[in-house]
This record gives sequence, structure tokens and C-alpha cells, in this order.
Amino acid sequence: MGRPTSSSSSIDSPNHFAFSSTASSQRDLTTDLRLGLSISIAPPFVREQWPPMKAAVAEEEHECNSSTFYVKVYMEGIPIGRKLDLLAHESYYDLIRTLEHMFHTNIIWAEAEMDRDHYEKYHVLTYEDKEGDWMMVGDVPWEMFLSAVRRLKISKC
Amino acid sequence: MLKKMAFSFPDEVLEHVFSFIQSDKDRNAVSMVCKSWYEIERWCRRKVFVGNCYAVSPRMVIRRFPEFRSIELKGKPHFADFNLVPDGWGGYVFPWIAEMAGAYPWLEEIRLKRMVVTDESLELIAKSFKNFKVLVLSSCEGFSTDGLAAIAASCKNLKELDLRDCEVDDLSAHWLSHFPETYTSLVSLNISCLGSDEASFSALERLVRRCTNLKTLRLNRAVPLDKIANILRHAPQLVEFGTGTYTADVRPDVYSDLAGVFSSCKELKSLSGFWDVIPDYLPAIYPVCSKLTSLNLSYATIQSPDLIKLVSHCPNLQRLLVLDYIEDSGLEVLASSCKDLQELRVFPSDPFGAEPNVSLTEQGLVAVSLGCPKLQSVLYFCRRMSNEALVTIARSRPNFTRFRLCIIEPKTADYLTLEPLDVGFGAIVQYCKDLRRLSLSGLLTDRVFEYIGTYAKKLEMLSVAFAGDSDLGLHHVLSGCESLRKLEIRDCPFGDKALLANAAKLETMRSLWMSSCAVSFAACKLLGQKMPRLNVEVIDERGPPDSRPENCPVDKLYIYRSIAGPRFDMPPFVWTMDEDSGLRLS
Repeated sequence: MGRPTSSSSSIDSPNHFAFSSTASSQRDLTTDLRLGLSISIAPPFVREQWPPMKAAVAEEEHECNSSTFYVKVYMEGIPIGRKLDLLAHESYYDLIRTLEHMFHTNIIWAEAEMDRDHYEKYHVLTYEDKEGDWMMVGDVPWEMFLSAVRRLKISKC
Repeated sequence: MLKKMAFSFPDEVLEHVFSFIQSDKDRNAVSMVCKSWYEIERWCRRKVFVGNCYAVSPRMVIRRFPEFRSIELKGKPHFADFNLVPDGWGGYVFPWIAEMAGAYPWLEEIRLKRMVVTDESLELIAKSFKNFKVLVLSSCEGFSTDGLAAIAASCKNLKELDLRDCEVDDLSAHWLSHFPETYTSLVSLNISCLGSDEASFSALERLVRRCTNLKTLRLNRAVPLDKIANILRHAPQLVEFGTGTYTADVRPDVYSDLAGVFSSCKELKSLSGFWDVIPDYLPAIYPVCSKLTSLNLSYATIQSPDLIKLVSHCPNLQRLLVLDYIEDSGLEVLASSCKDLQELRVFPSDPFGAEPNVSLTEQGLVAVSLGCPKLQSVLYFCRRMSNEALVTIARSRPNFTRFRLCIIEPKTADYLTLEPLDVGFGAIVQYCKDLRRLSLSGLLTDRVFEYIGTYAKKLEMLSVAFAGDSDLGLHHVLSGCESLRKLEIRDCPFGDKALLANAAKLETMRSLWMSSCAVSFAACKLLGQKMPRLNVEVIDERGPPDSRPENCPVDKLYIYRSIAGPRFDMPPFVWTMDEDSGLRLS
């Protein structure tokens, strides 16, 4: 299950996968992280991508049992925070777009480019992880981020 | 002497003959007979179809066909429907509208699928084409109700506005009031995708009342049940109708009103909508059921007994879309009641649940295949399958043209024998000689691809996920499927070898999508260098592919033939491989 390794000859014999998605020892990191999410999503695949159904038909039926993961988001200088459902986003790009819209600013994260002359127009996005450390958003794969993040903070440059 | 005969007809005669030829394939064939036929044909082609908006540039189309009235464009690859194509990938229609606005003031019809349509594009359409008649946006996004308001206000001759499966920024329902009071030409309106809670019912009612030629009306979820009667009362001529929310407190007066109004709709052939449906109100549609040919219940969360009752009233049904609540028992009733059934789609009600919540298995599909002699198109989601069932299906229904099976848990084996489902799908391609579209699922080895390459000679589109063992699988398909146009693959162990060995084949196809496979960046570069008429796009949100070793697999790969060269509207996470440096950033 999950992504195959780069050498095609290393795929196990098909019968191995017949029943249990946890049987394989060749699971890669991505699948581990997905299964380790504290909010459990039954099959180990990113929800919207499998089974192959158009969003409307899939989501309609799941308004009551869809998984959510709300985290607090604070912007420096503003005492009242917001809440954001991380599982409503598919990637960092998606999340950054929502935050830029929510807080009306340009966000710096691991993959952002900044106009260095106008740094006052930018804010840096960090998150508090399970160990209580504040880290820059975007360095680790999205799924790993989801399993580690506890809250978000947007600070001035 | 014989050569001269081809030129002995005046152009007008040939043009008249060509006017009876409507299909693109035939038109394309006609244009290749000789230079003079090419010339005559291009001047009289009225409908242009572009299957991949990046395969050709707007200017090239306009140069070749100076007088078309109708254009159909498709943008993103099919897997975009399942969120596999990141936002911002492309498929912008604006450049096309901009070019056509100048060249074709008399353009009448625009049909788009999976494209990004902005309000600016809609405003430009409204402003530029005085005789604009048809706008069909299928699975498009990027626009709001403001753009729709512009269309409503300016397009005095608009006949069709169809927004099926679009993502619309629903700013206000008042866009409907922008249709002037003098406007009466609407024939078809599909707003089922709109979400706004405050719907402008009075504007809608007035619109329906004055458009006496209205044949198709698909409402959105926001329209409550008690409003439907008012709307239908003024449109008894409707042929296709989609309800809004089909639930309300059970009141006899509301019910009889509704039933009465449905009985007066003598032309109704197609029904859809039925969000939040409660069984008590379903019998209201019984008066029209005997004439129904198409029924879309994919949002109707009612259970098997109610579905069975409904379906038993529809002996002339040709097309049914339904949730798996229908269960095997319901499909058996369908098989015995609906002998004209041609297309069936069964969607999962609980796709993410670990355990089945309904009793829908391969038996339902077998029953329908055995009982419905005209069945040719199927999309079926289920949780178990067997080779035996697939062989029975194939043997009893060799007239399948579209067969899409999705066994919900990837790599699920034959539940009876625990073997792969190679033999079952092999039977499908062997017996169904006219199969044009196939989607595979379940546990599959390279063997199934060998069958497909050997037998599926008319196959045009193949969708593969979590299947195969090695490059041999991909090689069988690319070397054997003569009619293949679209191939989409995800999470399969296919790498460089088959792709590079069959590079030439890719130029005979519209496109190839491969994601989460094992194709290396080096192979992508090589392909881009060697095949100038292919656009080889690497899509990778992890960052530039050359920041990793060359033999690292790319995340997503989209290859399509193009005479327009590489595109320049790519987002930062898409790279086109070309001849020059092997890497080009937009």
C-alpha cells in the first residue's frame, strides 16, 4: 500500500496484500504517518483522492461523519485568535492561501519567496509541535505536519 | 480521368455534401482526402472540438477554421475530478475567449469541460458575442455569480446555460434578476451546483413563467420542496427537471399540490435532484414515472424498499444513477422491470467506512447484466468481486462500451478464490469487442494488461490504479491497444522502460497521466528531448525535480501531444521538459 519504492522488482507478491493494509513491511514513511494520525481516516489514503468519485457525490454523504482538525491561529498583535480546519486543506499551498485571505497579509513559509525590500508587508508562519517547539511551516511533508501541529502563529518579520 | 472527377464538382456542391457530416472524426477524415477538400471543409466547419486546450493554440484554430459558430474545449486531465491535479495547474479559458472575441463576433456556442473560467472571461463573452446562444460549463471553476449576472444581462438570445458540476463562488442569488423582463428565449437552465442559501425564488419563478420554451430546468439544493409546485405549475412543458431539496414536514396539502403539478407535466422524461429526500413525498412523482427514461438519484439517501418501489414504476428507464442503498435486491428488481436500461451508475453511500453498510455486492451487477439486454455503460462501486462474476457479466453482456468498476479497497482479490482479478477483466475485454472505456480495480498483475493489449482493440480510454507488477504491464497496453487515446495511471509500479520503449505511441494519443508511479526525472527529461511534439509536464509540489537525484521518481507526470509547443502559463510546481535544456521554468 502507499507509494511503491523506486525499484519495481521489489514489489512483493500480490497475494501479500490480499487482506490487510498493515501487513506489508515495505510501507513507506508517508503511509505510516497517515495511519498514525490521531484523527483516524479509515482507509490509509488521502481522503479526497480515493475512491475516485467527484467531490459533490462524496462530500454530500459525509457532512455528518467527515473528519475535522481545528487548530488555533493567532496573529501577532491581535489578542483574538481564529480557528482553522487543517483537514479541509490538501497541501501547504492550500493552507497558505486560506491564511493569507483570513489575515489579509503575505505569508512567509519554507517555500515562499519574499521581496526583501518590503519585509514589513510580510508575516512569518510558524507552528507549535507536539514537543512545544515553534517551527517554520513547510519543511516536512504535509501529512507529517498534520500529525505534529498543535497550533499556528503568524508573526511580524 | 478519375483524378479530374474529384475536382469536377463545384465547391458549393461539396460544401452541401459536407454539411451532412457532423462528427469531428468524419470531418477530420474528409479534410485529409486532398488539398481542395481540406480547403472547402475548413471554411464550412461550424463546430470545432478541441479535446486538450493545450494541444493547439487559439490562433491556430482560428486560422484554420474561419467560420465556426460553436467550440468545445477541454482543459484539465480527468483525474482532476479526484483532486489529483493541484490547484493552479492550468486550463485557463481566457486566452481563447480573448482571441475569439476579436475574430468571431458571431460565435454562438461555447462548451467547456474542466477549465478555469473567470468572471472576466464571462464578462468578455457577454460583451463580445451578440448572438450568443449556448454556454455549457462542465466541472469548471474560477467564476462567481457576478460573471453569471453579466451573461444574464447581455445575452439576449441565450438559449442554454448549463453549469453542471461547477464550483461557483456563490456571492448572491440575485444574478437571476439580471435577465431582463423582456428576455424569454431560455430553453435549458442547469444551476444545480449553486449553493446560496438565500435564493431569489421570485426572480426564478418569473423567469420560468415568461420562458415558455423552457425544456430543461435543474434547480439547486436551496430551492425548497414547497416552491417546486409553484415553479412546475408554470412549466408543464418541461422535459427534464431537477428538484431542489426534496424534504419538508409531511403535509397532505403540500403533497397533493405537488402530485397534481407533476401529473400535469406530460412531457417529463428526466428527473434529478432529490437532495435530502424523504420517502413520503416520493409517490408524488409516480404519475410521471411511466414515461421516465432518465433518473438521477445519486443524492437520494433513501433505503432499498423505497428505491425498489420507485424503480418498479419506471419500465422505460434507460439511464439510472443511484446510491448503493439500492442493494443487490433492488438491482434484481431493476433487472426485471427495466428492460430498456442502457446506463447504470451505482455510487457508494459510505465510501470511507471500513465495513460495508449495505448489502451491495457483485451479485447486483451480475443481475443487471443478465437481465438488461441493452445495458452498455456501467459505473459500479462495490466492496467485493470475483472472476466468476466478471466472466458471467462479460459473456452475458458483450455489448458493453463503457465498463468502470471500482472495488473500494485497493488490491482486493477475488473473494472466492483469493486470486487476482486478471481473468475476470480479461473476459471483459475479450467478449466486449466494442469496449471503448475501461476502469480497473482490485488485485491485478501484469497478466491483466496482457489481456488488455491483446483484446481491447477498440479501447480509447483506460484508468488504472494500484495494479500491475512491472513495466511489462504498461508495455502491453502501450504496444497492444491500437485505439488508445487517453491513459491515466496512479500508484502502479510502472517505470522508465515501458515509457521510453513506447515513446512514439504517445504521439498517437491525446494524453498520458501517471502519478505515484516509478518514472524517473531522467526519463522525463529524455522523453522531452526526444519527442518535440509531446509536452512532458512534471508536476511536483515537493519542489524542483532537479533538486533531487535524477533517478528519483517524479510525483506526477502528464504527457500530451501538442502542435502549440510548451505552454507558458504554468504554476511554480509544474515543469515542462523540452529539447533545449531539459528543464524549463515558466
